[in-house]
Amino acid sequence: MLLISFSVLFVIEAKNHNYDYKKSWSVVYFDNPRDDSLDFTIENHQGGKAEYDYEIFVGDDKVIDDKIKIEAGAKQKISPVIEDEKSKENKITIVVDYKDVEYKIYKNIR
Amino acid sequence: MFISLPKLILVLPFILILPGFFLLLAFFGWKNEKISFFEKSALAVPLSLISVDLIVLLLARINVPLKGLNLVGSILIFCLLCFIVFQFRFRKKNQKSESREKRNGSESFFDFSFWQTVFILLSIALAIFIRTAYLSDTILPSSTDLGHHMYWVQKIIDSGELPDYGMPDFIIGEHMIFAAVNLISGVSLMSAMPALVLLLFNVAGIFAMAILLARLFKDKNIIAFSFFVAGVLYAVNAPQAKYVSGGVVGNVIGNMLIPIALYFLYRALKEKNQIFAGLSLFSFLGLLYTHHLSSLILIFSVAAILFVYLVLNFKRVFRIIGDWLKIFLKPAPIFFLISSLLYLLFIFTPSYFNSAAIGQATGSPLKVTRIGLNFDQIEMSVGSARLLLGALGFLLIFLNIKPKKIRYSFALGWFAILFVMAYKPGWLFINIPSDRIGNYLFLPLTLLSAYALVRYFEFFQSAASRFFATVLLFTLMFFVITDGMADSAEAFKTRPQFQEAMQTFHSADYLAKTLDTSQDVILKDHVNIYGDSWYKLFFMKDYKYPLSRGNLSRYVDPTKPRETCTRDMISDPQSDKGKMCFSETGVNYVVLNAQFEGNSFEKYPEFSKVYGSNYISVFRL
Repeated sequence: MLLISFSVLFVIEAKNHNYDYKKSWSVVYFDNPRDDSLDFTIENHQGGKAEYDYEIFVGDDKVIDDKIKIEAGAKQKISPVIEDEKSKENKITIVVDYKDVEYKIYKNIR
Repeated sequence: MFISLPKLILVLPFILILPGFFLLLAFFGWKNEKISFFEKSALAVPLSLISVDLIVLLLARINVPLKGLNLVGSILIFCLLCFIVFQFRFRKKNQKSESREKRNGSESFFDFSFWQTVFILLSIALAIFIRTAYLSDTILPSSTDLGHHMYWVQKIIDSGELPDYGMPDFIIGEHMIFAAVNLISGVSLMSAMPALVLLLFNVAGIFAMAILLARLFKDKNIIAFSFFVAGVLYAVNAPQAKYVSGGVVGNVIGNMLIPIALYFLYRALKEKNQIFAGLSLFSFLGLLYTHHLSSLILIFSVAAILFVYLVLNFKRVFRIIGDWLKIFLKPAPIFFLISSLLYLLFIFTPSYFNSAAIGQATGSPLKVTRIGLNFDQIEMSVGSARLLLGALGFLLIFLNIKPKKIRYSFALGWFAILFVMAYKPGWLFINIPSDRIGNYLFLPLTLLSAYALVRYFEFFQSAASRFFATVLLFTLMFFVITDGMADSAEAFKTRPQFQEAMQTFHSADYLAKTLDTSQDVILKDHVNIYGDSWYKLFFMKDYKYPLSRGNLSRYVDPTKPRETCTRDMISDPQSDKGKMCFSETGVNYVVLNAQFEGNSFEKYPEFSKVYGSNYISVFRL
């Protein structure tokens, strides 16, 4: 009985110790949080292939508006090209939308 | 996963059954009238735990690196030594007695009838089933206490040495066994392994109570009911499955070792047996290395039991004390006592063995959490049904008391002292959170409840009112079962938080891979982030890294000022105090729940938001 219990619990834990199994979430992050680089990654843990809209703002100005499809459990790195002059001493905001949820990250460029 | 599971299933018996089995073999041989197979099975796990702990301590003391191969070799050597002792002590005896081997009287009360066996098996099955069902929603490693403990375990694994805690909060016995399982099996700490090891101890604790009751009352029905009371009633309520999933390591192990120590003590006193006396000291040493509160509870329990017995037999006090001294002044207990002292003095001294830690736990209680529980709180702590049955058991034992039989002192003294410790700790100069003491009441209450259930019928057997007694009993049983089981059912209403935990781990993994921990300082919000105590395992920099905003009540302490920076940097980062704290602590990353402070932090212009998921936001200063 205890052996069965241990096996069941071990398998339940192992299955759920996974970013995708029975889960529905996404994450957006800068690849390097320590510097001013703007490369970022979107990870799809929604449980199926998902299309994300993403917009990039320099201050209040939208400079990029695009879409990207990401397979379930996959991640996609994006390297936005923004003129140095524009981004200097400005706030760069990346807004990623999936369905009704908005994921926002930003850096204050020094 | 498919390799880890069989490895764990093979390694657990190697570590947690084999050493105890060989230790018992050395003391009692294959078959011995003093101890039954049932008792050996129940004792194998706790004695293995203590043996492995002592082996690890010795290895560390002689600077042998704590690695898998070394541990396997040492455990095998220990087993071999026990086997040699067994050969030396029992070979001749076995040859002589083999032909006239027969079943002895002491084993007979473990020969259960068909229905008793069915009842016990059903109780055990139900006990494991309820725990498994509850743990299936909490099995992902995420509880706060377990996270703190596993940091130290990982420290042992990484360094191959025992850690220097630098604080009395942690005790080495809470960590060595998990390190041993990992080092031998390779099964990660961030898996079900820690909870499964605790579950094994929890179930072993049920058996420990059963053998204690068996020896105390020598009644098969009481043994059978002890499985029901300890295993099924309030199976989830603390200190049962909730403590397993919550990672309250010291308590779970303590709840297994306390009955074992009392079992050996009872048998030593009752049977005037020096081996049992030695093993009671051995169990106590194991407890000292595992949990300070459990050790204190055991000391008070033993003192109360002996005191009650002496009071009940005050005319024979000196003779009784003389008899006890005769038992403990024999070679086996003296050997164990000296070995224990040598271990404590020269091999490893527990971190709480200092005047400051002892001073904190003794004296008049000052805080409101330490001045004692009222009846309602005690009832909540142990459960209404168990308390009611226990009170009935106490009354029945009191009415049936036979002063010369120490079993009655065990039952009454054990409950009485724990009740006073929980209800009025000031009377005993105990300065420890009362709710933590209250959780131990379930041990004597299990004893009293099982006794009450069985003796109830016998008590009314001769009475003319047997019909009414039966009706009353069934009414009582209905209440006991519905109340005891309803408590467990209530626990299942909580939603599993696997998704939140995995997002917490993802953010920790992201920061561990991208930050430079020699320069970057992280502050996380323990109040609103699930599973955050496991964050430190991703960095393994320091126990206090990352910094953490604790539960808000912890910042208010009438006895001494507390640091408040970890609170202020999240609650009010733009205040003068908040800014000063950022400057002083060097915190430049703040991890928050996206739905709470995560939203409000977006309005602070000094911060960049570098990570955003449904659950976690990370800000950089």
